[in-house]
Amino acid sequence: MDFSTALRVSASGLAAQRMRMNTISSNIANINTTRTPEGGPYRRKDVVFEAMPDERNFGEMVTVKPDEQIQRVQVTDILSDRKAPLLKYEPDNPEANEEGYVAYPNINLMEEMSNMIQATRSYEANVSAIQASKDMAMSALEIGR
Amino acid sequence: MSSPLFDKTTSVLGSSINFRSLRQNITSANIANAETPGYKAKVVDFEDALARAADLEGWAKETNTTDPDHYVIGSGSVANARADIYDNPDVNVTNDMNTVDMEKEMATLQENSILYKAALNLINKKLGALRYAATDGGR
Repeated sequence: MDFSTALRVSASGLAAQRMRMNTISSNIANINTTRTPEGGPYRRKDVVFEAMPDERNFGEMVTVKPDEQIQRVQVTDILSDRKAPLLKYEPDNPEANEEGYVAYPNINLMEEMSNMIQATRSYEANVSAIQASKDMAMSALEIGR
Repeated sequence: MSSPLFDKTTSVLGSSINFRSLRQNITSANIANAETPGYKAKVVDFEDALARAADLEGWAKETNTTDPDHYVIGSGSVANARADIYDNPDVNVTNDMNTVDMEKEMATLQENSILYKAALNLINKKLGALRYAATDGGR
């Protein structure tokens, strides 16, 4: 009987979706950014989700066989999009190259928006799971009352 | 667990509550990993094992073994019932090889929560009946 596992796993889902939301915000904010520390225009970022065995504290790890079946989610990497930058012909722009083209980030606003909605819904699903676990734990506390 | 005070019903309900909390953990993990590429949705199967164990409960006392190497028939008591956890075979695979069906998981979550509370209510009723008897019929 451990509700902390369910809560911990759902919380990992919340954290992962929030991280995804952060990268989407970054993508939308930098939709016109032409300079980055690495050089060149901003490249859209994407999170990588990975399922990992739920980590317990050290004492439990030694005494109890960790349950491989219950897996939490973690953002293990943030990758840059490999799409080529968008070249726009703007000869008057000070950022333009010799041929008069400015390299803009290849970010599709619609794509970012739909990803944002997806992240929001997934976040809500995890919140529902936490709510259900909490209700169950609370009613378990009332046995025999 | 069998005592004159707490009968088979209580122990079956107790096991059922334990299994439901495991199912809650697994379903939460499925929901958290709903967008993890390659993740396979898991299901917890315990109803049949528990029903079988409940049928066999009490048999161990009635069968005699003449050799210590003999298996005791009906040794599967409620406390020994095990839940099966496996990858759900009844799924649609998406492009990223993830098999989590969010609607199904949310439905499982709510159903599990309701049945968990139902089992708790039944335990409370049992305890209420005991209390009624212990207080001499409420006097």
